[in-house]
Amino acid sequence: MAAATVTSERRFQIHDFWRAFVLAILCGLQLLPLLMAFFISFKTIPQFSRVPFLPTLPLHWENYLSAWEIVRLFLFNTVFVSGLTVVGVLVLGSLAAYSFAILRYPGREFLFYLVLALMMVPATLTLIPSFVLVKNLQLLNTRWSLILPWIASGQVFAIFILRTYLQSLPGELFDAARIDGASEWQGYFMIALPMSKSMLGVAAILNVLGTWNNLIWPALTISHLERQTLTPGLWSYQVENFTRYGFLMAGLLIGSIPLIVLFFFTSRWFVEGLTSGAIKV
Amino acid sequence: MAARPALGNSKDSLLLQVWKGRTGYLMLVPTMVLLGVFMYYPAFLGLYRSLFDWAPGLDADFVGLGNFVKLFTKDKVFQQSMGNMLQLSLWYVLSTVFVSLFVAILLHRMISQRLKYLYRFLAILPVIIPGIVLLMLWKFIYDATVGPLNMLLIAFGLEEWTRAWLANPNTALYAVMLRNFPWVDGVAILILLAGLQVIPQEIIESARIDGATNWRILRSVEFPLITGQIKLLTVLTIMWGVQEFTAVFAMTQGGPINKTMVPGMWMFWNAFRINKMGYAAAIGVILFVLTLILTLINMKYITTQEY
Repeated sequence: MAAATVTSERRFQIHDFWRAFVLAILCGLQLLPLLMAFFISFKTIPQFSRVPFLPTLPLHWENYLSAWEIVRLFLFNTVFVSGLTVVGVLVLGSLAAYSFAILRYPGREFLFYLVLALMMVPATLTLIPSFVLVKNLQLLNTRWSLILPWIASGQVFAIFILRTYLQSLPGELFDAARIDGASEWQGYFMIALPMSKSMLGVAAILNVLGTWNNLIWPALTISHLERQTLTPGLWSYQVENFTRYGFLMAGLLIGSIPLIVLFFFTSRWFVEGLTSGAIKV
Repeated sequence: MAARPALGNSKDSLLLQVWKGRTGYLMLVPTMVLLGVFMYYPAFLGLYRSLFDWAPGLDADFVGLGNFVKLFTKDKVFQQSMGNMLQLSLWYVLSTVFVSLFVAILLHRMISQRLKYLYRFLAILPVIIPGIVLLMLWKFIYDATVGPLNMLLIAFGLEEWTRAWLANPNTALYAVMLRNFPWVDGVAILILLAGLQVIPQEIIESARIDGATNWRILRSVEFPLITGQIKLLTVLTIMWGVQEFTAVFAMTQGGPINKTMVPGMWMFWNAFRINKMGYAAAIGVILFVLTLILTLINMKYITTQEY
């Protein structure tokens, strides 16, 4: 019996070897540009002209120092803007989702459909009028021109997944609290919020990824470079420094670090949220 | 919807129900205010302005459907951009579905949990690299003088194949299309993997007892049970492909000679480079209608799989 298990396990190990081999090639090729950027980021221009893509000594750390001088401003702006946005999205989104999923009042379904309908409105339809609106509100070149529209659009998806999740919880939880005299606000703070922590995490990560990667909108509304966010910032940085390869790659890599750090702490939520089937149509 | 003791008892008058539900409304106020100002108002304004010949600061002339007629009959760039969008979207769907399916199945079959965890992590890693970094790295890879792609061709003695991939009108669209080789898409993989993982083990076991090989199980059991996920991915990718112009914006701005122009980029160009705001709004409306049609198809034909 034991021997049979051992042989069958060994057979599977061999199959695993081939699977791992193919996956290693695919993932390796996918990550190759980043490895290239890493090698180039330590080079001076003469080093790059001699050996463009393989590592060369000595390593020139000063590329990172001078890139940091420029990129840190973009990074600070992005952390500030994406941070405020995600807080707004989570607060407004969870309140609305709780109201839609748990509370009872006339017109609730209609109001929910008003929100849901916006899932079909693409950013391209609202791009031009939003720009005119933000301009008329005198918000151009302020961080509010990013934060307010991003909270407005980001909360739609958050409401959608949080409402689905809250509806899947046993209703008795909230009923019992109500019978014990808890108010709706207590139901929100003491039951709904603590129970939906992982879903809030998923909504938060997806929201941060979305705002972090937005190129067009900040490029449009922010023209003062010192207020610019990371994505358009790196784009103009690339245009200006295309031939200073080491410096350029160092800047791009510095810009990648915060999301990697964020992911390092939240990857379990992210992966489990996406694979648990919580996000479905 | 489970029957729960309602807050507002249905025997109460409507006014009383509204009063009893006041907390519910109160919790929606900030959401609704922001949606009204920053979503509904611009959306309706976009629909409305698409009927005008309009530039900011100038009088708007009502032209009815004139902008749309012009787009579909006279505007060669717009027609080309629709063709490019179609090619790009088709490619995005094919690459996303096939590569992700392949990787998801390999991951799902992995016996060693540690290896599975490691490769799942490696597959997701590109998702958390800022999109702009990858776009800029690929722009560098395609560069005519120092780009690794040309260097590689030279190393293999294929010097006559080298070119400025993004500046050459014959290759620019394909260069944009084929960026991110080999197209491992972490989110798509996770969605498919989720579908594979929720297939009840008994179904697989009983197929195996009946003598089904791995390949047969894949073809006759697993594929049919994840068609929901595959369709979802397809629709999401097409919808994204219709809207997307960040890659074109960052890499080529639609050039050379409009060879990589997509409708979103053309809209941006009209609105913010030559101030034809009404005309640009009409392009936005066309993209909205396309999205709407895709969403309706999605809702009608795509249902979650039941076992």
